[in-house]
Amino acid sequence: MRVGRSLPYVFLGPALLVLVILAAVPTLYAVNLSLQNRTLSAPQAEYVWLANYLKLFSDDRFLNALWVSLKWEVLTVSATMAVGIGLAIAMFEAATRRWRMILSVLFIIPVLLPRVCAAFVWKFSFHPLYGAVTWPVRALTGQTPDVLAHPWGAMLTVAFVDVWQWGLFFAVIILKLMEALPPQPIEAARIDKAKGWEIHRFVTLPMLKLPLISLLLVKAIESLRSFDLVYVMTRGGPGVSTETLDMYAYSQGFIEAGNISYASSMAVIMMVLTVILFTSIWKRLNK
Amino acid sequence: MATVECRNLCKSYGSHEVIRNFNLSISDHEFIVFLGPSGCGKSTILRMVAGLEEITGGDLFIGGARVNDRDPGDRGIAMVFQNYALYPHMSVRENITFALERAGTSRDEIRRRLDPVVETLGLDIYLGRKPTELSGGQQQRVAIARAMIKTPEVFLFDEPLSNLDAKLRGHLRVEIARLHRALNTTSVYVTHDQLEAMTLADRIVLMNQGRIEQMGTPEEIYSRPATVFTAGFIGTPSMNFFSLDAGEGRLRNADIDLAAPFPLRAGKVTLGIRPGAIRLVPEGTPDAIAATVERDEFHGDMRLISLNAGAESFMVSVPAATRLSEGERVLAHLDPASLHVFDAESGQRLGD
Ligand SMILES: Nc1ncnc2c1ncn2[C@@H]1O[C@H](COP(=O)(O)OP(=O)(O)OP(=O)(O)O)[C@@H](O)[C@H]1O
Ligand SMILES: [Mg+2]
Repeated sequence: MRVGRSLPYVFLGPALLVLVILAAVPTLYAVNLSLQNRTLSAPQAEYVWLANYLKLFSDDRFLNALWVSLKWEVLTVSATMAVGIGLAIAMFEAATRRWRMILSVLFIIPVLLPRVCAAFVWKFSFHPLYGAVTWPVRALTGQTPDVLAHPWGAMLTVAFVDVWQWGLFFAVIILKLMEALPPQPIEAARIDKAKGWEIHRFVTLPMLKLPLISLLLVKAIESLRSFDLVYVMTRGGPGVSTETLDMYAYSQGFIEAGNISYASSMAVIMMVLTVILFTSIWKRLNK
Repeated sequence: MATVECRNLCKSYGSHEVIRNFNLSISDHEFIVFLGPSGCGKSTILRMVAGLEEITGGDLFIGGARVNDRDPGDRGIAMVFQNYALYPHMSVRENITFALERAGTSRDEIRRRLDPVVETLGLDIYLGRKPTELSGGQQQRVAIARAMIKTPEVFLFDEPLSNLDAKLRGHLRVEIARLHRALNTTSVYVTHDQLEAMTLADRIVLMNQGRIEQMGTPEEIYSRPATVFTAGFIGTPSMNFFSLDAGEGRLRNADIDLAAPFPLRAGKVTLGIRPGAIRLVPEGTPDAIAATVERDEFHGDMRLISLNAGAESFMVSVPAATRLSEGERVLAHLDPASLHVFDAESGQRLGD
């Protein structure tokens, strides 16, 4: 009896211990820091309690970062899912087994690339003078388009690189999921007069609802960590138009002011928002 | 309702030929059963008729029109699958009405057509459930309802009852027969269950290795099997076969010597007789075979006795009350009217 009782703790113990050390300690440290007025330049600090948080809500740049992060999430998650599903259906319908294999391998390569590399490659491709992507425009019109210098252009370009990495990868996963579905309901749908896209709209995609939701959440979490991509491609610019929360926290904490407590309070808010948002989304979608 | 005609249908997977020159003409209202051993190509033909499988060669006509290149949805067919193939994420009601919705039928019309179908199959109380919340038999009834509501020209069934237990299978078989009598839709039904084939079919198409072995009413196939294969495939318990030499009006080998039922050319023949056509007779009956009892199986309504006569062994079914002990010597008499004689070489039936 006692063995049965203690067994869960034996198994959970080590993992929980690691979690506490790795996650809880920094989290608590960040919360503690966010209640002080610590800066990188001075060693001493005192508790100012919620002053940092109050200041945040009158900080236009913070509110902008919040808005940019939200736009970034919605844009990249929906575009990734759309590209993944669209390409998967296209391959499922049109490609032979052989071609599916070849395309799958090709589509996995981008996500294997370290993000910083991908960012540099694409940043150069979009370069107004030397870029390969901008070349046709240069050749045709003689102008030197600088998409990264335009607020929406920068946002869309960075999002494009993100979707290039993840959308193609998701297409492979979704294709494999579709191939693993039982064929009979699809055949039944064909007999039931469902044409091409209707089969996917009404049968295959609904059958894949749960794995698709999981993919969506994975991408949503992944999109939150786009710091490296944004940092390399735009550094939050032009102006603050691609400055996400983590970018702004980083520049407040380490670049501009060394205001480490202020940055910590942003991190804490980001964490709280994420936990609340994701829990509610997960609960709603899983119903 | 419509006729179905297969002209020289062929099917190959790559270089592997599964069906070759399959010819069959099914008339309006007819209930055809494809029967045959596993892997003989029954499902393949059915799926070619449905349009789920590409036709490699030949022509397929439904209702007089060539439909080789038509989509499954435009052939006027409905199909019931062995594993039900219901849409798992839709309720029973949505499953049944899906086809009508895709065809753009109005809501009122759908509701009007749903009621009688649901009532016929007794699905009223399950309409709101998901397929996973139903038993196998209920799921198959939903699948039949889904096929029925389309009022198709042709019903296709691919072993619809194979996944069900024996009792439910019997029950649904009767239900399908009743439905066919009511709707009178041309139907093609694939099975390897003889009882289903015998009870449902207007005509049985017995298949073997992608060819039609024999085609006819259940009685014809049972009482006049055209080949040794048919004779051995149809009937439970299965037919006994003896390899005999024909000559001088007799059929004989080392252990058996019988009068030929009709004049035969001299040569090797295969003689078939069903266990039910052999009787145990008293000493002194002419043309009887002396044998010893080897095994005695009780089947409820009768006993199946294995007999040995020299190198030959065969089965006899006797009334359940008969008491025989192992090793007992008996005399078996083969009913001359129930003998089936086949050419030993070709396996074809001899005589009428
Ligand atoms: N996709 C395929 N590729 C290659 N060969 C196939 C394919 N599908 C079926 N076959 C072959 O075609 C033959 C006929 O198959 P089919 O499914 O029609 O058999 P069946 O008569 O329905 O058998 P069962 O009673 O077991 O369902 C088999 O020999 C099978 O191996
Ligand atoms: Mg089959």
